Formats: sequence, C-alpha cells, structure tokens
Amino acid sequence: MEEKEKKKHRAKHSGPKAEKKRKRYLNDLGIGDEEDARKRNPKAFTVQSAVRMARTFHRTQDLKTKKHHIPVVDRTPLEPPPVVVVVVGPPKVGKSTVIKCLIKNFTRQKLVEIRGPVTIVSGKKRRLTIIECGCDINTMIDLAKVADLVLMLIDASFGFEMETFEFLNICQVHGFPKIMGVLTHLDTFKNNKQLKKTKKKLKHRFWTEVYPGAKLFYLSGMVHGEYQKQEIHNLGRFISVMKFRPLTWQTSHPYVLADRMEELTNPEDVRINPKCDRKISLYGYLRGAHLKNKSQIHMPGVGDFTVSDVSFLPDPCALPEQQKKRSLNEKEKLVYAPLSGVGGIVYDKDAVYIDLGGSHAHEKEEEEVRPNHELVQSLISTHSAIDVKMASSKVSLFMDSRPLGSEDVGQEFVMPKEERQLDLKTGRVRRKAVFEEEEKENDDAVSDEEDDQEEEEEAAMSEDGSDGDDENDTEEESERELLREEMTIRRAKRMKTEVPKEEAVNELPAFADSDDDLEMSSEEEGKTAPEGSEIEDEEEEEEEEDEQRTCKDESSDSEFEAAKKRAKSKQYDVNSGHTETKSQTSDHSLKRKAVLTTDSGNCTAEEASESEVESSSLDEGDGEGGSHDELEAEESNSDGFQHSQAKTAHNVRQTKLKAVEAEDDDVENLLREKEEYEEKIDLSADTIGALKWKEDLTQKAAEAFLRQQRSTPNLRKLVYGTVVEDEDHESEDADDELGGLFRVSRPDKESKQKANALDCSKFLIEKPQDWDLEEVMSSIRDCFVTGKWEDDKDAAKLLEEDEELYGDFEDLETGVVHKGKGAAEGDESGSEEEEEDEKMSKPEPEEEEKKKERMDKKRKLKEMFDAEYDEGDTTYFDDLKEEMHKQAQLNRAEFEDQDDETRVQYEGFRPGMYVRIEIENVPCEFVLNFDPHYPIILGGLGNSEGNVGYVQLRLKKHRWYKKILKTRDPLILSLGWRRFQTIPMFYIEDHNGRHRLLKYTPQHMHCGAAFWGPITPQGTGFLAVQSVSGTTPDFRIAATGVVLDLDKSITIVKKLKLTGFPFKIYKNTCFIKGMFNSQLEVAKFEGAAIRTVSGIRGQIKKALRTPVGAFRATFEDKLLMSDIVFVRTWYPVSIPTFYNPVTSLLKPAGEKDTWSGMKTTGQLRYERGIKLKQNKDSLYKPIVREKRHFNKLHIPKALQKALPFKNKPKNLEKKGKAPKDQWRPAVIREPHEKKISALLSALSTVNNYKISKAKVKHREQLKEYLKVKQKEDEQKFKRQKEAKKKVYRILGQREKKRQKSSLKGSSKREKSM
Amino acid sequence: MLLLLSCRSGRRWGRAGARQERRLPQERRLGPAGSQGRSSQGKTSAASPAVNQGQEGKILYRQQLPALSRQPRPNHAFDHPFGEPGGCGARSRERPLPAPARPLPFAPAAVPALPVPNHVGSGMAGEVQCLSYAGCNFLRQRLVLATLSGRPLKIRKIRAKEEDPGLRDFEASFIRLIDKVTNGSRIEINQTGTTLYYQPGLLYGGSLEHDCSPSRGIGYYLESLLCLAPFMKHPLKIVLRGVTNDQVDPSVDVLKATALPLLKKFGIDGENLEIKINRRGMPPKGGGEILFACPVRKILQPVQFTDPGKIKRIRGTAFSVRVSPQMANRMVESARGILNKFLPDIYICTDHMKGVSSGKSPGFGMCLTAETINGTILSAELASNPQGQGAAVLPEELGQNCAKLLLEEIYRGGCVDSTNQSLALLLMTLGQRDVSKVLLGPLSPYTIEFLRHLRSFFQIMFKIETKTPEEEHMGGEKVLMTCVGIGFSNLSKTIR
Repeated sequence: MEEKEKKKHRAKHSGPKAEKKRKRYLNDLGIGDEEDARKRNPKAFTVQSAVRMARTFHRTQDLKTKKHHIPVVDRTPLEPPPVVVVVVGPPKVGKSTVIKCLIKNFTRQKLVEIRGPVTIVSGKKRRLTIIECGCDINTMIDLAKVADLVLMLIDASFGFEMETFEFLNICQVHGFPKIMGVLTHLDTFKNNKQLKKTKKKLKHRFWTEVYPGAKLFYLSGMVHGEYQKQEIHNLGRFISVMKFRPLTWQTSHPYVLADRMEELTNPEDVRINPKCDRKISLYGYLRGAHLKNKSQIHMPGVGDFTVSDVSFLPDPCALPEQQKKRSLNEKEKLVYAPLSGVGGIVYDKDAVYIDLGGSHAHEKEEEEVRPNHELVQSLISTHSAIDVKMASSKVSLFMDSRPLGSEDVGQEFVMPKEERQLDLKTGRVRRKAVFEEEEKENDDAVSDEEDDQEEEEEAAMSEDGSDGDDENDTEEESERELLREEMTIRRAKRMKTEVPKEEAVNELPAFADSDDDLEMSSEEEGKTAPEGSEIEDEEEEEEEEDEQRTCKDESSDSEFEAAKKRAKSKQYDVNSGHTETKSQTSDHSLKRKAVLTTDSGNCTAEEASESEVESSSLDEGDGEGGSHDELEAEESNSDGFQHSQAKTAHNVRQTKLKAVEAEDDDVENLLREKEEYEEKIDLSADTIGALKWKEDLTQKAAEAFLRQQRSTPNLRKLVYGTVVEDEDHESEDADDELGGLFRVSRPDKESKQKANALDCSKFLIEKPQDWDLEEVMSSIRDCFVTGKWEDDKDAAKLLEEDEELYGDFEDLETGVVHKGKGAAEGDESGSEEEEEDEKMSKPEPEEEEKKKERMDKKRKLKEMFDAEYDEGDTTYFDDLKEEMHKQAQLNRAEFEDQDDETRVQYEGFRPGMYVRIEIENVPCEFVLNFDPHYPIILGGLGNSEGNVGYVQLRLKKHRWYKKILKTRDPLILSLGWRRFQTIPMFYIEDHNGRHRLLKYTPQHMHCGAAFWGPITPQGTGFLAVQSVSGTTPDFRIAATGVVLDLDKSITIVKKLKLTGFPFKIYKNTCFIKGMFNSQLEVAKFEGAAIRTVSGIRGQIKKALRTPVGAFRATFEDKLLMSDIVFVRTWYPVSIPTFYNPVTSLLKPAGEKDTWSGMKTTGQLRYERGIKLKQNKDSLYKPIVREKRHFNKLHIPKALQKALPFKNKPKNLEKKGKAPKDQWRPAVIREPHEKKISALLSALSTVNNYKISKAKVKHREQLKEYLKVKQKEDEQKFKRQKEAKKKVYRILGQREKKRQKSSLKGSSKREKSM
Repeated sequence: MLLLLSCRSGRRWGRAGARQERRLPQERRLGPAGSQGRSSQGKTSAASPAVNQGQEGKILYRQQLPALSRQPRPNHAFDHPFGEPGGCGARSRERPLPAPARPLPFAPAAVPALPVPNHVGSGMAGEVQCLSYAGCNFLRQRLVLATLSGRPLKIRKIRAKEEDPGLRDFEASFIRLIDKVTNGSRIEINQTGTTLYYQPGLLYGGSLEHDCSPSRGIGYYLESLLCLAPFMKHPLKIVLRGVTNDQVDPSVDVLKATALPLLKKFGIDGENLEIKINRRGMPPKGGGEILFACPVRKILQPVQFTDPGKIKRIRGTAFSVRVSPQMANRMVESARGILNKFLPDIYICTDHMKGVSSGKSPGFGMCLTAETINGTILSAELASNPQGQGAAVLPEELGQNCAKLLLEEIYRGGCVDSTNQSLALLLMTLGQRDVSKVLLGPLSPYTIEFLRHLRSFFQIMFKIETKTPEEEHMGGEKVLMTCVGIGFSNLSKTIR
C-alpha cells in the first residue's frame, strides 16, 4: 500500500555509545587519546607567581620538618618482650570478659578466673601480656607506667566515668602509651538513633582527650556471657598489628611486670619470727633497658631493694621458631599465667611445680572437686604445720597426692582466698615434685630425649674420671629446665602421665655457672696467646648433638662440677635438717655468693697471684711465694665458715673447670697439641680428690710461673679475676690475734703495700727498649705517615686503582690517548705468573679475591655516582638518622655471637628475657598479704636514683581538681617508678631569680615546687594526688608537672617585713625604734633600704646605744611621727625532710586501696574538732575613715607683697548690692504710646503669618519642580548612556580590528598547533 | 674519737653562717677534737665508721673546713636574710641522711598507721650499699667514681701500719677539692686519718679556686677534675695553684694536649673547654697556677675509636723556669735528633717563663705529643729533678730520654695514650646505652684497677680483646675495649 515512511536512523549524540564512537573516530584521525592535562595545556601549570611558589615550597618544607622527631638509637631487642596490654575501666564495665574473650580468641582456651598478668602468643612475632587494671588509683598509676597498649573500656550506656579521665591523665604524665577505646554495653540501647548519637558523642570526647582519630572500638553485645566472636577477633587483629612508639622512661629503665612470685625464706627463720624479712624471687619478662645484677630496683607499693641475684630462664611462652607458614598452629598458641594457675609444669631452679588440671575442669567438675578439695586442704594444713621438716612433708605430700592426681585427671582446684594465705607461694594449688638424689652419675640423658619429641634441652649427666672423688658425689641433685612447650594445659595433662619419667630426668639449672663460658670466650679472643696458659687436662666429654644454643653453657662438666660443689657445701651445711628444696636454694645462693666474692670467680688463687705478679712485675720467685701465701690463706679460712667453705669448694671447682673447658670449643681442637703436654701436669690435679686439692701446690706454682712467662696473659682474667679480698685479710688478722689483746705484726704483704702505694696514673716503663737499635726502631716504623701503609689506605695503591677505573682518557689538545687499562693489564700480566703459581696451591681464595676486587670496584663506582648525584639531598637530619642507625646496628651486632651467659655479663640482662630476680629483706607483709590481682612491678633505678635529695618541680594544679593546694600539706606524688608522700613547698620565681614561697598554688598557672625525696632525672613527669585511699566522686589528680632540678640544698625564701616607728625626727634624719632587738641585729642591716608606708625611702645608718635596737636612719624627706617605717627581708625556708613511700601492697588483701599516710593539718583539725584560734589582729574590721579637714593656705603678708601679681592671692570678694544711684529707672508708657505699640505688634503678627504661608507654598513648588527635574535627568542620562554605548562599541570594534591585523601572524601559528 | 671533717650539707646562706664556720677549725685544732667536733655538729658517731685501730689521740693532720660556700648571696641590694644568725642552722637543716619519716610537730598522728612494724626503712630510698676498701691507693678514682655513681664509700686502713699513718696532705687537699666541687657531700675522717667515709653529694661546679698541695702535681687533681667536670650543675671554672710539672704526675701540659682532645671526642666540646697555664711551678715549692674550665653536658656520645691512624706530626713544649733559657733549646735539639729519624714534621716550642709566672723553684722539662691523622694524640714527658733532690740532669739527656719515652708510647700505641686510658674508659662507661669501642695500648696497672672499680661502682664489665697489629712494624699488642654504656645522665644539670 502506501509506503509508510520508515523512521530514519538517528545517530546517537550522547551516551556511552556515542562517546565510544567519537573516540574511535578521533583515534582514526590520530588525534584521539589526548595526553594528560598537564601536557595538553602546559600553560595552566606553569609558575604563575614566584612569591606564591616560594610560599608553597616553604609550607611543604614546614610540614615535612614538623614530622621529624629527634632521631634516637633504636634499642629494641631482636626478640621483644610481650606487649603489655592493660585493660582498664570502671567497675562492671566488662574488663575481665574482654580479657577472657581475647585469650580465647588467641589461644582457644577458656580461663575462668584471671589473676595477674596473662601472657599469650598472639602471632608469629608478637606476644601479649594482658593485665586487668582495677579502679584503685595505685594500680592505675603503676600500670600506666608499664603499659604499651591500653584498652580503655567505656560503658556506653553510662558514658565516661571519672576513672577513665583519671587514667588518661596518669598516662599523659608518665609517657603516653597507645590507647584504644572500647565501648561496651551497646546492647542496652534499644533506639538505633540514640545509639548512633551516643557513639558519636563519646567518640568525639574520646578524641579530644587522646588525639583526633584515636581508635574507638565498639563491642555491640553479649552472646552467652561473651562478646561476639567476630568483634573480638577484630579487636585482636587491631591489637596484634598495632605499632608502638618508644617512651622515654620505659626505654631508659629496665622493668619487670612480675607474673610469678616465690618465697625463698628459710622456714626456720619464719618459724622463729613470723614477721622476719623475707627473701623472694620474682619472675617475669624483662622490659625496657638492660638490667644489671646487683642493681637497685623499686617495687611500687613496697619499696626500694637491691637485686641480690638475677638469672634468666628459658622462655615459658616462647614465640614459635621461624617458620614459613602463615599462621600459628595449635601447639604454638601458648598461654602462660602462673598467678592464674595456668602454665602447666613449671621448671625452676628451686623446684618443679606441676599444675593439675586446666581451668576448664573447674567449671565442669566443681561438685566433684569438693571432697578432694578438702583433702588437699587438710594436706596443706599439715604441710604448713610441720614446715620445719620440710623435706619429709614435701615428699609425703607428693606421694599422697600422686594417686589423687591419677584418679581424676584434669581436675583443678581453684584456691579460695583463705587458702591463698596458707599457700605462701603464689596463691594457687600446685604440687611440688621434689626430685631426690636417686640420680646417680650413670644417668643418661639419651633415654630422656626420647620421651619428649619436642626440642627440649637436655643436658646429659656426665661422669668422668673424677668419680673416685668423694662420698659426696652421691648427693647430686639437679633440676630441669623450664620447658616452654609444656606451658599449655593440654601439655600439662599429658605431662602428668609422664610424671614418673620426669622424675628420673635430672638436669642442672640453666644458670649453671657462666664462668667457664666466659673463660672460653676470652680464650677465643686471645687466640694468639698460647692456649696452654690454661690448665687444661681433660678430654672432651661426649659431644651432645642436641645441645641447644640456649643451654650451650650447660655443659655436662659444669653440671658435674656444680653438683660436686653443692655436695661439698652440703657437707658443711649447718642447717642439715632442711628440706631438699631449701638446701638447694641455699646452695644456689651460696654459690652465687661465692662467685661474687671472688670477683667473677674464674680465677684461682694462683691466678690472682699471677695477676698481681704481672701488674707489679716482680720476679717469679716472689710470684710463687705469693701464690703460696694466697693458697694458705684460703686453706686457713676453709675450716671455719660455710661461706669460706663454699669458696674453697669453688676453688676446687675452678681447677676442675679448667679441666673441662674444652667443651664444644673448636679452637681448642686446633690447639690440642699445645695442651697435651700440660695435661700430664694437670692430670694429678684432676685425679686427686677435691679435698686433696692442695697437694699439688708446688705444681700449681710452677704453672703459675710458666704462665707468667707467656707474653700475653688472659687480660679479662687479669682484670676481672680475683683481687685480694678484704674479708680474707680480716679473718687473717683475727687469726693473728694473740690472747685477744695483742696482734702479731707481720711484715706487710705485697698486696698490702699495694693498697697503700703511690696513687699515680702514669704507666711507668720498667725496662725501656733501646731505641738506638735498628730493629727496635723498625718495630714502630709503620706507625708514622712516612712508613708503609695498609693496602686500602696507601695513596699510591689507591691511585693505581683509580687509574684502573678511570685511566682511559684522551688529551684533547695533543690528541694523545692514554690507556690506563693497558698499564694495569701489564701489571696484571706481570703478576699473573705469580698468581698462577698461587692458584695451583689455592685457587679458591684467588677466585674470591678477584670477586672481592670486582665488588670493590663496583662499590667505588657507585659511591662516586652517589656522591655526584645524591649529595644535595642529604640533610643534617638524614645524617643524624644514619648515624643512629649505624649505632643501633653496632649495638645489635657487637655481642651477637656470644652466648647469653657471656652477654649478660657484658651488657646485663637484655629486655625480652624471662628473668628470675631474687630479692632479700622484703617485708613479710608483702608475702603474707600477697594478692595476685595487684600488679607487682620491679622498676630498675638508674645511677644514684636511689638517693634522696631536694627535687624541684614545675607544677600546675590540675584544672579539674576542685581545691587549691597548700604549701606544707602532705601530698602523694607519683614520680618515676615511685609513689610516695612528701611535703612540697610551692614557690614562684621572681624576675631576679629569687624563689619566693607561695602559700597556695596559683589557679591557672605553673608554679615551682620543691620537696625532699628520691632523686629522679630531670624532665620526668609526675602527678600528685592528695589521697590514694578509697574513691571520691571528684577528680583525684591534684596536680601534674615535671622535674626541673635536683640538688642537695634549696633556696626558697619568704618575705618578712620588720616595722619600726620614729621617735625623734630631725630634718631628713630620724631615729627609729622597735624594728630590731639588739645593736648586733642593727649592725647586720646597716645600709639596708627602708621605706615608710607613705612611700618615703631611706636607709639604715647606724645603731643607737639607747634604746636597744634603735637606729639612725636618713630619708629623702622629713618623716612624721605618725609614719610607720618598714624593711623588707627574705627569710630562707626549710623543707621538711619527709619522704614516705606508699606501701599499698603491704596492706592486707582487700584493704590495699586504703593506704593513708600523713594527714594534713586541716584534716586533723576537722577530725578532732579543733578550731583554729584566730589572731585578733588578723581579723578584718570595718574601716572607719574620719573626714579630714584641711586648714586654709595662709600666705604671710610680707610674702604676699613680694610675690608678682600673677601669683598674688587675688582678693576676689563678693560684690555687694548695687547702690541706689546705679539702679536703672523703670519705663512707664503713655496711652498713645501704648496704642502704637499694640498696633505694631498686631501688624507684625499679620506679617509673620503671611511670610510663613509663602514659605509653605514655596516649599511645595520646589518639590514639584524637583520631581520634574529628576525625570528629565533620568531621560537625559539614558540618552547619554545610549550614545556612549554606541561610541564605545565603535571604538572597540575599531580596536579589535587593529589588533587583529597586528596579530594575524601569531594567531595563525596558534591555529596550526 | 671521731673527727668530723666537714659536714657540709648544702650550700649555706650568706655571710654570718660562713663566718661562724670559718671559726670552727681553729677550735677543733685546739680542743680535744672529737668531743668538740661532735658537739658542734650535733652528730652521732653511729653514722660514722668505727675505728678499730691506730694511735689514739694523735691528730695527724689538721683538716680545715672547706672555705666559704660559694652559694652567691642573693644580691638584691638590701634584702637581708634575716634568719641567718640564730635561725635555722644550715647544718641540721639539710642533712641528706635517709632518715625515716620525721614526725612533724603539727601532725602528731602523722606517721601512717601501717601494719609494718619491722621494716619502716625498707621502703626508703637512699639505702645504697656502702662500698668499702682498704688502703689509700687509688683514692682518687674511688672518690670520683663514688661521686659519679652516688654510692657512699668507706676507705679503711689508710697507711694504718706505717710510721706516719693516715692521709697525707695532698690527699687531704684532694678531699677538700672534692668537697668544693660538690654540694651536700659528707666526709668523715677519723682522728688518726686512717678511715675515710664519703657520702657523695651532687656535683655543683662554678667558679672556684684551690690551692693544691705541692707534694703532688696539679695533674693529680686535674685528672680527677677532668672526670667530674662535665657533670656539674654549673660549668666548672677553677683556678688550681701548685706544681704544674713534676716527675710523678702527668703534667698540665700533657693533660692539655691529650685529655682535652679526648673529651672532645665524647661530645664535651665548646669554646670554654680549656686549660690555661698562667704560671709554671716546679717542685718542691710550686707556685704554678692554671685555669681549668669545662662546659657541662647532659649526656655523652658513644665512641668508636678503633683506628689510631698514622702519626703525622710531633709537637711539644720544652719549658724552663728560673734556669737559663738555653736549657730549653738544648732539650729540643737532642729530642729532635732522635725523632727526626721517623718523621720530619716536628715542632717543639720552647717556653721560658720569667718573673712572677715562673713559680718558686727552678727546673726544666719537656713534653712531647705525637698526633695521628685520625686525631689520636700520644704523649710523653719528663721533668728535671726537683731542686735539692737527686743529681742534676743534663738537658740533652732529658730531651733524649723524653723522645725515647715518646717512642715507647708509640710502640704501645692505641687510640688513647697510657695516661688517659682510665678517662676514656670512664667516659665510655658513662655513655648512653650504646656500644662504645676504643683501642688501647697495654693496660696500665692504674687502668686495670680502674676497670675493677668501674665494675664495683657501675656493674659494668668491659669486653677485652687482645689485638695484634696485622702489619709488622706497628708496635706492640693492642687491647680493644668494648662496653655498653650505663645510660648515665647528668643529674645535676638544671633544665629550664
């Protein structure tokens, strides 16, 4: 039909399709895909303004430098200690639940009750120590100082509480650890909007306190009493990836957050005096800085102590060995919390503890536990009753409890509180497994190794030729090391089945004396020295393949030695009735003591003499004599006291030690030949028993002589070896006494002479070399620049090398081409033949040499290149950073190769180690009132930080604290590690540097404070509270500040005004009384400035004879008798030397937050109802001021006359009434005149009216006119504008045309572009 | 029995107090010393060490109290400290004894009602263990280390068995010097002078003067001051008078040439680090005067000082006082004769002092220093015999011997010369917690004892390695000392 016109295709002009098409089209044309805007339109991105450019540059630089911190040497250990996570918050906010959930999240274990810190492995490279912080301000302060990360729990349904802010402020003062907020109780919000609002509000408040953007975590709700799994998992993730910045105080002080406490007091002492000072050992990871033995520590809440012993133990919660897999396996997810009763078997140097049952058991089988529980209870009570004979009780306990253990495997006893008091150790039930001396020498460790497929370190018991020694050998005891794999409960259970086997395994403690190792290392160091200088006589014992790095030192020989020594000391043990464990401990302490008294104890007597001989360079005969003397001294001491006994035992051990030094020392093997001839000599020393050690004295002396002959003594031994002990002399003196009265005076020994010798630092030369001889001269020839240089520094050589590198160049002027390479090649070819020969013998090194050379060349080239192109970039900051980095690397590398025992001697115990710290003289209350919920912190003190003195602070009252602080009121400060009460005095520094006492702290200003207390480094922050007991609704932190200065004296003054009254006034001179009491006093103040209240200044001149204390003074003006004169003086104030540490941990359990110290005067007055007697004069009275009348100024007539007129008083008396004649007359008009005036006034009225009318009319006319005028004006303006427009358009067009014509060329060019 | 030498506890205030104290020594000198001293101090003998031997009643030397306290009087023209004369006695006021909580008058119930009956003092700070030594040897290093570590010190049996027991005058002078530079230190010496108890205070510094005993050189005092000076509260500027050069102690010239560059290596630097010899004094009469000034540092830098480098020049001073000026030239000639065989760059200046700056006794001597390209300075010195003692020494001989001594020192080598070994080790110890290394020549007996003392005061042990030089003609064996600093910081320095 009719053809309908089809709809035409309409190409798309917009949309993605069109876009694509266009693009394709443009691409086809070759102009598609335009480059970025910067290239396309370069003009838009060029420098518009130099000033602006400079400003932006400066700005960026500012921002950059702002980010810089002063670089510090990175001293973090390679294997860092666990991160301390402190969970803090008000009560009932869910702290323990969070901890439990976190532990469950990381370790898949459920802890029921958490006491003390819990250490878990949270990842391949991170461990966490989680600890809960109660609301006691003591705990909060202590934990803020050790925290790395704070989980701040906030009850969202309630909002922030004071504790939160207090804790934040504590943190700010003591270095700000990372803080992460966690909102809980979010499920109480039914309204979603409300929830959102609250979250936001809390978040912003939190941000203002911490920093904007601080992480705030939301735990939405509980499921079966736990938080949601996913949320906890996320929280865990956050924790385990968090980075920490080092805090100054923490990195400069060693500290331990103790996770275990043992009491080591002699039970006999406790029995005699239950309140005797205790000896305890504390365990924990060392954090912060290196800890040295015998250093001072402070336990917050307890006091200052000196570490009596430190030893490191194998890590109970070790990180997994480096593996390539992604996540931890179940075995490696360890948890360690001995205070909570988790951790399985604990191997210790004192005993072995087995923890029965995991914490799971508690929940399920609580009912079942009851009867057992009672049984155990009774057992424990018996144990405590017969603690005098501990050995038997222990054994019986063990035997009793073993069947018990096998009956119900996996049961666990949670200690109620009253039990805790019974069990003095840690407050948990566990059984002590005491290994008796069933161990014989023929024990073999190999069998044990099979027991545990884990890599336990087992040192095999060894026996060598010395078994014929003594009867004591049978008494060997030994302990096992702590096995980190055994820490999990699962393990603990399994271990229990293995208990019998374990019993058989005896091992030496890990601390086994370090000396042999040190010796070895020193030997290695002094390789060049003939090794034979040591008395080495034994063949190596069986090499143990499985000996680990950590227990390398624990060689079988030392074990043997220690055992023997111990046995020996036991022989003389006075307290033979002691239990095994106790004697063990005493043994250890003895041993330690011995080690210490003999100065690292690896020197026998004759070595001491040797050192002496060497230092004083006497002839050998003397040396021998000396050594004899020494040995005799030792001998004489040996029969008396246990202590000296230990020492002799030690000596014996020394001789033995040398015998077995060769253990796992490769160097030794090389030097075996040298040793062999010595062996013969020493064989006797070895085979002869320990008690017969003195038999070979002559031989030893001979050896000493031999050794002395050697050129290089073992320097370490020479320096740190035995020095003559004072105690020895004392005892000697005692021996010399005759009848208690007289003393045998013997000729001074060499050592004594030395003690009083000339004190001179010069190193005198005994026999100088003959410097005229040629060979002597040549021995230092190369010390001078004129001598031969080392290869890498020799200028000629270096030049040559450079030649090789850059030798090729062409002299452009002459066209000569220099070939450096050729010359070098020639050299090489020349030397090649020789090299060839060498190659035959050792081709390997040759190859390496070349490689090295090549590398060197490359490096040099690179350096050149870097120097050329990178020089501009390195700033001072970069250099500094580089330097610090280098130092850090050196720190790491320096002692890397040494084993721990040696390292510990040089650097101290490094952070990350699990250490055991022994402390003596601890108050018994600490042990009796031990509560694991309260953290025990051992804070190391720096040098002289244990001293006391005056400390000056900069202090500011906290803005939230409601009261102001008063001078001389006791205040509790938290400074450094300590919390203590002291009496501060507030002062302010005047412009002239005077410290003026203030009665109260200023309101919104810093002031100074000075107190008498422990010296703490400058720059340390502190906070002050008025009381640590109980809780107050108000904010508790009274003041914060920083330490400025430390001194032993202080100069604070207060103003004192002395007043006096004039009693005789001359012109400017005045006699004043009542200010002083004697002539002497006046004499002291001669020349002092005085002032009257009205402001007349003067000076004290001289004392008068009468009345007493009166003086003559001159003033700048004449005084009145009514004037009061005063002198301003400054009176020095003394600060009470009151320092009272807050011993909150000594309070009984449950009362630990009730410590109260000295009270303020106000408190006491309030409590006792004493009212302050007011000084009547101090009361304010209403001031009544009389109206003052001033007399008229009277100028004498004569003076008046003399004055010029200007100044004369003008007698302007009031005018009297005008006289009648001067009055003006009144005017009375005539009637006609009256008429005229009336008419005139009427006319003027009319006229006035007319004028006003005309005025109004004129104004209206004017208005009309203006209106018209305005209209006209508008019209006119419009016209003009039009016209102007026209003209300008024309003008503009003309201009345009002109421009176009002039720019034609350029515009064209632009088009083409 | 006990004579309390000085119980200077704290700076005193003002004039009157000082006057009063100045009078004290005389009283003590006259009266039966023990009772007098004790009553005037109000001190019990319980705190002091017991003396168990020595001759009774013989006062061996008279120790005067240290001169005026140098606490500047508040210098507001007429502000007078009124309370001085009778008021609070400075002594009883500020005894830095770690006394337990003192019951205060206004709060009788103040002492906390704690159930801690048997250890009131256990929690106290300041109960640092007292170190005890016998014999007067190494007195200086003991006192210096005690001061730096803040540990009290007791030295017994000081020449107890000798004819002339007790401290000598130079030691007494040294103790007085220590007292001058510190604030709040307590020094007690028993009557015979055989026992010394020292409880250190804080280092104070400031501008001081001290008359050193002429029986030892100024070097004896200066060596210790070099150890202490960087850790004062105020920069030390001290004038020492006495013997500048003698045969026993390192002379001031040597210390100036060697110790100051060493201090600079540890970051103790600045324009006011100087030793200036104003007058030379030779033994026996002395009469020399030097000025020592040192800036204060809070921390020290660690050093890695293991490459001494090669000697590039030799410098020296030949001095002569109250003898012919030719002596110096003769010494120089002979010394050059020996040293020129090794190095051409030798310059020895002659220093002839005249008039008032020449001291009271004649003498001459020489000190030589060898400087390496790395800044190590080794030194040697010799001085003529004191007037009236020993035979006369020929200047040529002395010059030769001194040059040989220098060669000997070069043979020993190391980065620090033998005199300053202990100073270097001390500064390493007092560094940050970083590894420091230094290469030394053979350790001198003094240094060895110093190392032992360092261990007992700071619990620090050095890693000691013997190094034999790889090259053949590089002198004797060296010792590489390595340690980790204890993280010492200057506790005296005030921060603003």
